[in-house]
Amino acid sequence: MSLHYLKDALAQGDTEALIRYVRLHLGDGNEAQGRKEIDKAWIEALKPLLDVPPTDRAFIHKTLTSKDPATLAHLFFDLHFYLVKQSGEWIHDGNL
Amino acid sequence: MQRAIERRGIPTVSVTVALDVTEHVKPPRAVFVPFMMGHHFGVPFHHDLQRRIILTALDRLTMAERSGDIHALPVTWAQARREGVVIERAMGIRK
Amino acid sequence: MMATSSDTGQLRPGIWTTVNERYPGSMISKPDTVPLATLRKPVAQSRLAFVSTAGVQPKGTLPFDVVHPVGDYSFRRVPSIAEPADLEIHQLKYPTAGANRDLNVIFPIERLRELTDEGMIGALTPDFFSFIGYNMDPERLEQTLAEEIAEAVVAEGAEAALLAAA
Repeated sequence: MSLHYLKDALAQGDTEALIRYVRLHLGDGNEAQGRKEIDKAWIEALKPLLDVPPTDRAFIHKTLTSKDPATLAHLFFDLHFYLVKQSGEWIHDGNL
Repeated sequence: MQRAIERRGIPTVSVTVALDVTEHVKPPRAVFVPFMMGHHFGVPFHHDLQRRIILTALDRLTMAERSGDIHALPVTWAQARREGVVIERAMGIRK
Repeated sequence: MMATSSDTGQLRPGIWTTVNERYPGSMISKPDTVPLATLRKPVAQSRLAFVSTAGVQPKGTLPFDVVHPVGDYSFRRVPSIAEPADLEIHQLKYPTAGANRDLNVIFPIERLRELTDEGMIGALTPDFFSFIGYNMDPERLEQTLAEEIAEAVVAEGAEAALLAAA
């Protein structure tokens, strides 16, 4: 989707178009894969927390309170790909 | 991109695996190879093929007569891969 | 002979249509062509630049932003004397199986050096140029990144340019 198309979708409240784009982006161009990738990232986010290891909450708090919303949103995309990589299954090889 | 460079008086040629995209974008000169995306210059370790694609492209800098020229190389992906396997066997990196 | 997509064996047909269906408006389509520039000297006496969308960059430099939903509109300089071992690829959305074993399949830096050493190419520009092909704002690509790279290619003293879009 071109940026123009996405901005139009946002202006018109077309959330279906927006989420479809996110799924395509995260699914290497495949919407169904993108849904699975989103689920996969959340499972990977859950896994390391089940043993309740100590985490750097001060860092998280500082980051969330000191950084601008765009940087945090960008980080969210980065974290998604980081977690998906942790899963050991990488679909982003351009073959979909 | 290619157009921006050409407009500055520097002749350009691109190598493409997506002929339909190239037909839409209409770069000044292009060489088409029917290869897998990301493999514009052929297969690993196939130096002759990699060189041939580069030299064919550079030839178009003087041979192409009109803008939008697309020259198809008479090669196939299957043949390139077969040759690649032979080369890798000779190198001892594939059984 | 002029090739057309209907009579040649494009390995993966309909890329433009497929991508444009998935990402409406992201694909460029031009109604016209630009006038050809003339090569002033034979290739064997000309300085050549290489421009790639493969996301190749020197190891240790800030990775291309492959996660941003709108894309990355920056480019990297890759010294034409760089060794493949000193380079890495940061780009999603195209198959890198071959490039991971031999970078020359998408970024033929060693072949270009050989051809220069053999006198088939006059010289190489000190730097080559690399960016990533994933971007959702074709206007911005054309108005900023394309112009910036074109300026850089001129500044490198290039007399001809070879491009490859991954």
